[in-house]
Amino acid sequence: MKNNIAVKVDDLTVAYNYKPVLWDIDLEIPEGVLMAIVGPNGAGKSTLIKSILGILNPIAGSVSIYGKSYEKQRALVAYVPQKGSVDWDFPTTALDVVMMGTYGSLGWIKRPGQKEKKIALEALEKVGMLPFKNRQISQLSGGQQQRIFLARALVQDASIYFMDEPFQGVDATTEIAIINILKELRKANKTVIVVHHDLQTVPEYFDWVTFLNVKKIATGPVKDIFNDDNLTKTYGINYKVSIQE
Amino acid sequence: MSNAQIEIQLIASLVAIACAIPGTFLVLRKMAMISDAISHSILPGIVIGFFITQDLNSPLLILLAALTGIITVILVEYIQKTGLVKEDTAIGLVFPALFSIGVILIAKNANDVHLDVDAVLLGELAFAPFDRLLIAGVDVGPKSLWIIGCILLITIGLLFAFFKELKISTFDVGLSASLGFSPTIIHYGLMTVSSVTTVGAFDAVGAILVVALMIAPAATAYLLTTNLKRMLVYAICFGVFSAMSGYWLAHWLDASIAGSITTMLGLLFLVIYLFAPNKGVIAVLYREKQQRTEVSLLTFLLHLRNHSEEEERHVNHLNEHINWQKVRSKTVLELALKNNMIVIDNDVVSLTEKGNDFTSQAIDYIITNEDSKIEHMKDDFFLFRG
Amino acid sequence: MDITEYIKLVFTDYTLRTITLGTAILGAVTGMLGSFAVLRKQSLLGDAISHAALPGIAISFLITGAKDSNVLLLGALVSGLIGTFWIRGIIKKTHLKSDTALGLILSLFFGFGMLLLTFIQKQPNANQAGLDKYLFGQAATLIESDVWLMAIVTGACLVVLLLFWKEFKILLFDADYTKTLGFNTKFIDILITTFIVLAIVLGLQTVGVVLMSAMLLAPAAAARQWTNSLGIMVFLAALFGAFSGVFGTAISASQNNLSTGPVIVIVASVFVLISFIFSPSRGLLFKQIRFIKNRRDLQLHKTLAFMHHIAKTHENISHPHTVKILNNFQGYTRSTLQKLVHKNYVRLDGNMWSLTEEGFKTASNLYNQQSDNNE
Repeated sequence: MKNNIAVKVDDLTVAYNYKPVLWDIDLEIPEGVLMAIVGPNGAGKSTLIKSILGILNPIAGSVSIYGKSYEKQRALVAYVPQKGSVDWDFPTTALDVVMMGTYGSLGWIKRPGQKEKKIALEALEKVGMLPFKNRQISQLSGGQQQRIFLARALVQDASIYFMDEPFQGVDATTEIAIINILKELRKANKTVIVVHHDLQTVPEYFDWVTFLNVKKIATGPVKDIFNDDNLTKTYGINYKVSIQE
Repeated sequence: MSNAQIEIQLIASLVAIACAIPGTFLVLRKMAMISDAISHSILPGIVIGFFITQDLNSPLLILLAALTGIITVILVEYIQKTGLVKEDTAIGLVFPALFSIGVILIAKNANDVHLDVDAVLLGELAFAPFDRLLIAGVDVGPKSLWIIGCILLITIGLLFAFFKELKISTFDVGLSASLGFSPTIIHYGLMTVSSVTTVGAFDAVGAILVVALMIAPAATAYLLTTNLKRMLVYAICFGVFSAMSGYWLAHWLDASIAGSITTMLGLLFLVIYLFAPNKGVIAVLYREKQQRTEVSLLTFLLHLRNHSEEEERHVNHLNEHINWQKVRSKTVLELALKNNMIVIDNDVVSLTEKGNDFTSQAIDYIITNEDSKIEHMKDDFFLFRG
Repeated sequence: MDITEYIKLVFTDYTLRTITLGTAILGAVTGMLGSFAVLRKQSLLGDAISHAALPGIAISFLITGAKDSNVLLLGALVSGLIGTFWIRGIIKKTHLKSDTALGLILSLFFGFGMLLLTFIQKQPNANQAGLDKYLFGQAATLIESDVWLMAIVTGACLVVLLLFWKEFKILLFDADYTKTLGFNTKFIDILITTFIVLAIVLGLQTVGVVLMSAMLLAPAAAARQWTNSLGIMVFLAALFGAFSGVFGTAISASQNNLSTGPVIVIVASVFVLISFIFSPSRGLLFKQIRFIKNRRDLQLHKTLAFMHHIAKTHENISHPHTVKILNNFQGYTRSTLQKLVHKNYVRLDGNMWSLTEEGFKTASNLYNQQSDNNE
């Protein structure tokens, strides 16, 4: 049994414009799991990881990464934002975006050098995007853009990876490529937390799952808790409709 | 009051009304900056029109200049469609270019054109009563009064004729298209009216300050109501009020009338911005503080419901785990106690029956995305607000 | 006056040299910073800030009574910043949208500024002359100390840009991600905004409040079309800006009655126009050419596929058919047929056509390719 707790969330409550989006979330994520966060639209899935990462300010609660506050453990955490959150017409290349993953460890002012470039190229290789390294990012397909984002997170060489809808709008090849990388990460005892939309693939891809709909409904191993009961609790009576979305 | 003074105020008021009507729709359609672009880019139209007609008040000139306004809108939309630059960069590229062409045209023909850029941009209302309209030798009033009067009549006519279409296409483009009102026609219709109004008003208040008269009254009204009809009425009232009071301010300071009208609009906006009952900054700040406490209260109540263990319900836990400052914890606890939601026994907090009911209902509403109902529920449950 | 004579004059004539240098530096710094404004989708903020600066100029004149442009610019800076923060406040605290907030602040501040300017003009104080220049700008009033100030600010801006290049780039591209890496995004944001406001205020005397925003946008929008690298974009924007300044000054100096500001803006707009049309990768001209070429290829392939379809039914693929049956086919034109003949896919014999071996093969490959692409 895994007993090291990678991420611990205590009584986390988040409100947008003072409307509660997440309510009193208690969550413990063991080290080395590949976890999906599932729930209907507006359930607060992205909000949860954004609050853990300090992008949003919760109105109550606390988060700890391996027992210490997030600010102290930043280097252990990598983040893959939603693909739609940035402007892909930005004048930069694939390699350049991946290099951004090294900026955090570089700190202020210092520029990335040959060492950083090498790391970035390796990450590009891993996601199968090396031939596209000098491509302008708007000229990449949706799946390729997503792989670039994944490579950028890999560059951070973290222990815990947070990913916001990495499978959204990607082609089948990319989906397989991404899931293989995720499984590789798990093998290396990394913890991967994925906001996920497609309920059908949960048992196949993940070994841990959290059901979320404003409140935490359930969390645990997929084989134990991924059942109709929890799905109904999360998605309501018409959850089958939600699946098709 | 002299005759001229009455006429000036009348012209200013008519301009204000003529601007407030299209302005309301521009603000609602998030196109306020388009009016700024139009106001600049009509300059070359005015100059060319002046070459042809030699008369600043000629209807032909107004049409020509309004056409430049439409061309601006088309150009902006074309550039946006190419995707070469981001949305509003297109606006920022088009109008300075057209405006510069206008300025250069004036400068190059300074001897033939008795036009001056300042006058076009800033207007001189004080001279308006001197340019009289003579019909068969009879003085029927200042020309600009007639021009802006005509524009206003047309605007009002169009407003009444197409009110329904305007309303639907402003709030729900998809619906209006499916009902068979072409959003494109309404869009360009509105752009045409805005352009014509801008041109018609420029020699009274100046092209740039037309923008103020279009946006400020509508924006101010929008802080007070979301009902379209009321918004139109408020906007017109604010416009007329600023026009009148602005005139007297200018009279007193011996300064530009247009500048004074804008300043009055600014003051009016400032006052409403601060003190509007629901959407003013002070109300918003107060409500945010109240809601902050109330959401904290909800959070706390839910926490109590989720946890039966005593340590999770201990008063100190609020500071330690929920991560609240002392003051905040105290406020929340007091509010919950005052409203009979909790009882504290030996520093251990428990929900009362009422608190339990309240929490269950609140959760239901939030999960089913009916957050708005929580506000009503608060009225039922709360004896004291946060 | 011919060009060589003019160039000589630029180096010898004190006034012309000052103006040329001033507008060139101004163009460079606004182009550089404009790139950031454009990429942050804050294109129109510059317009609002420049208009909002006007009352600041008037008020600092009323308070100090001084004509010293540095004091006036300080006032402009303060009121520009107030305008900027008020815009943010309106967007954040009310339901008014950003375009309304921009338009409001822009027109209200400008109107108030006009009130103050006309008020000043009617004061019995002889010192007031020269405030008008801030409306449309008057490069002719630039003096050496103004140029020095511009140069210093540009230098500071360059240093900051080089130091924080990495931080600026990542913030512009992905602000949330930047936050998770531990950078203080607020600090970077304030740094960029402050420099943009500073550049705008510096340009007021030369270009004026009405046209200042174009100096910010046009060089950047033009530069964006030529490159996919942020560094080169910023550099090109600075270059375009500087050239706009130099050319604009030259044109307005060689003609009577032409104020410099509008001419510079026109020159910058010409840069934009050329870039929009002729840029090789993004430009409209090449896009149109590629589009037409693709459509032609498609028509050609369609016709070939149609012929293949007919020929397939016969044992001998080169069995001749009349041209008439092609007439019913939509994609067919005389020129496509000619092209097919030219490519040796089709043989023409009077009114009869037949597929060649090569044409048949290409056509069947076309089918396979299409099904490949669909996967």
